[in-house]
Amino acid sequence: MIGRAAHRALIAALFLFLLAPVVLVIPMSFSADAFLVWPPSGFSLRWYTAMWRETKLMEAARNSILLACLVCAATLVLAMPAALVLARGRFRGREALVALLTAPLLLPTIVLALALLILFVGYGLIGSWPGLLLAHLLVALPYGIRVLMTAVSTLPPAVEEAASSLGAAPWRVFRRITLPLMLPGVAATAAIVFLVSFDEVVISLFVVGPELTTLPVAMFRYVESRTDPLVAAVSALLVLLTLSIVIVLERAVGLGRALGK
Amino acid sequence: MAGTALVLEGLTKRYGTLAPAVDALSLTVQPGEFIGLLGPSGCGKTTTLRMIGGLIEASGGRVLVDGRDVTALPPHRRDMGIVFQNYALFPHMDVAGNVAFGLEMRGMKRGEIAAKVEAALDLVRLGHLAKRRPKELSGGQQQRVALARALVIEPSVLLLDEPLSNLDAKLREEMRAEIQDIQRRLGITTIFVTHDQAEALAMCDRIAVMAQGRIAQLGTPHDIYEHPASEFVADFVGRSNRIAGHAADGRLNIGDLTIDAPAPVAPGPVTVMIRPHRIAFTAGGAGWNEVRGSVRRVTYVGDVLACEVTAGGAVFLVEQPTQPGVPPPEAGAEVCIAWRVADTLVFPRETA
Ligand SMILES: Nc1ncnc2c1ncn2[C@@H]1O[C@H](COP(=O)(O)OP(=O)(O)OP(=O)(O)O)[C@@H](O)[C@H]1O
Ligand SMILES: [Mg+2]
Repeated sequence: MIGRAAHRALIAALFLFLLAPVVLVIPMSFSADAFLVWPPSGFSLRWYTAMWRETKLMEAARNSILLACLVCAATLVLAMPAALVLARGRFRGREALVALLTAPLLLPTIVLALALLILFVGYGLIGSWPGLLLAHLLVALPYGIRVLMTAVSTLPPAVEEAASSLGAAPWRVFRRITLPLMLPGVAATAAIVFLVSFDEVVISLFVVGPELTTLPVAMFRYVESRTDPLVAAVSALLVLLTLSIVIVLERAVGLGRALGK
Repeated sequence: MAGTALVLEGLTKRYGTLAPAVDALSLTVQPGEFIGLLGPSGCGKTTTLRMIGGLIEASGGRVLVDGRDVTALPPHRRDMGIVFQNYALFPHMDVAGNVAFGLEMRGMKRGEIAAKVEAALDLVRLGHLAKRRPKELSGGQQQRVALARALVIEPSVLLLDEPLSNLDAKLREEMRAEIQDIQRRLGITTIFVTHDQAEALAMCDRIAVMAQGRIAQLGTPHDIYEHPASEFVADFVGRSNRIAGHAADGRLNIGDLTIDAPAPVAPGPVTVMIRPHRIAFTAGGAGWNEVRGSVRRVTYVGDVLACEVTAGGAVFLVEQPTQPGVPPPEAGAEVCIAWRVADTLVFPRETA
């Protein structure tokens, strides 16, 4: 009995440790103080109203949302055929190709960032939309390919063959059978890739420019110069956004199933 | 009734360096004919069917439909209805949607589709389940949906991969008759894969018995059963006593017994095979083989009496319908058993 109680206490402590920063941010965002102090001396909504006037941050937020959507779309378009070929194909070097395409998942992000910086400077891509899109795609594609490959491999056997024997040409098989059956995987990919891009900070730090920046980078810059609870309010909204995406996904398709667990 | 002629010419499938799964298989199917592919598990039945349907590429050989070479055509341009061993229903569509799919692909009008789907579902007695999803159906019901889905497109060739394997005995019987009926009525050339010999014998115009990727024998059910071409076929189709013997002077020796062969036979070791129910407890006569032996074991199963009789060092299984007023022989009793010489199957023994 004691063992079990201790076990529970340990798990609770772990959760507390993992969630404390998130939990702390929320009361902090309602602070009435002008500085980040704990505990806040009073509560108000002043930082929630103040943040909308912070044009730099707001523009960065718009950029981040647009970027995440673009990355999402591009990833789906590129990763879908790749996943179909990689999960199904029986060709030499398949394993190697899978490893190569998903390798960036394992590489230290800082190394990627540095490499991109060197490459982008030469092509004038720093601080540009194409540069940012390319950089984020590099991080997002491996996730997309992985999750979609799982989705392909969990497709029921022979249904596509059945469809084609019933007279469906390949693209109709894809549209009527393959794609609908992969929808949970596609939704999961979209959500994960959106969050990966929206949350990306290390690589973004290297490739953003004065004219074009993303929300995490803008927040980072903000706290370098100011110490008011405004970023806490922004963070609280981000927590809300992330949570709602995850919940919607879980409700719609079951996140565990979509990830092939 | 037009019907489509289907010809397989030296059809071959190799997987890597293994022995070929299907080995230069040739078969000519008449228009509207119902052919059974019968054979043990792993003999290449499914592989053959999939090559005909275009689902896997043949390593060699050709498939001809009405004289036209379709070997290179993709499945959606072959007009063949396939019922898969594992059904392969579309899980995201209801039963009616599954059946309608092929018609939609043919660009048929809505109203027409609805009518055809309803008729097809009635045919397989699933009209009341049209709105169910496949996962809400039993195995047998799924199988019938698969059948309806393949039939509704009225394909020129119907390929059935063990379509009845999951049905209970009664439904199976009904579906057998139903498939035969539809097939006759529509005159669809049909290949029916099964490893159930009773099913093959009952349903098919001709049966191709397969072993190790080849056709061991092609013939009518009667041919296959009465005149098996090899020990393998005799053993696989129907049950047989299998007795080692020796041919000499045109007759057969089994231990100290000597019996007649139905046809001239080359001297040497042979396997003698006799169907258990063709042996009777009678004295023979002209054209019969008769042996005396003693009853070793009697199994009484109500309508059938199964007796093991030892004679000449061999054991003969005798199966006879039970008869009123005739008590079964006792174990240890001396009996006389006999069978027609014509029912004696003789095959040269494969010396390993
Ligand atoms: N993809 C594959 N790779 C290698 N060998 C295969 C492959 N598919 C089938 N085989 C082999 O080919 C042979 C024939 O298989 P097939 O599925 O045609 O058998 P079957 O007669 O349909 O058997 P069953 O009655 O069990 O369905 C088997 O020995 C099988 O192991
Ligand atoms: Mg099979």
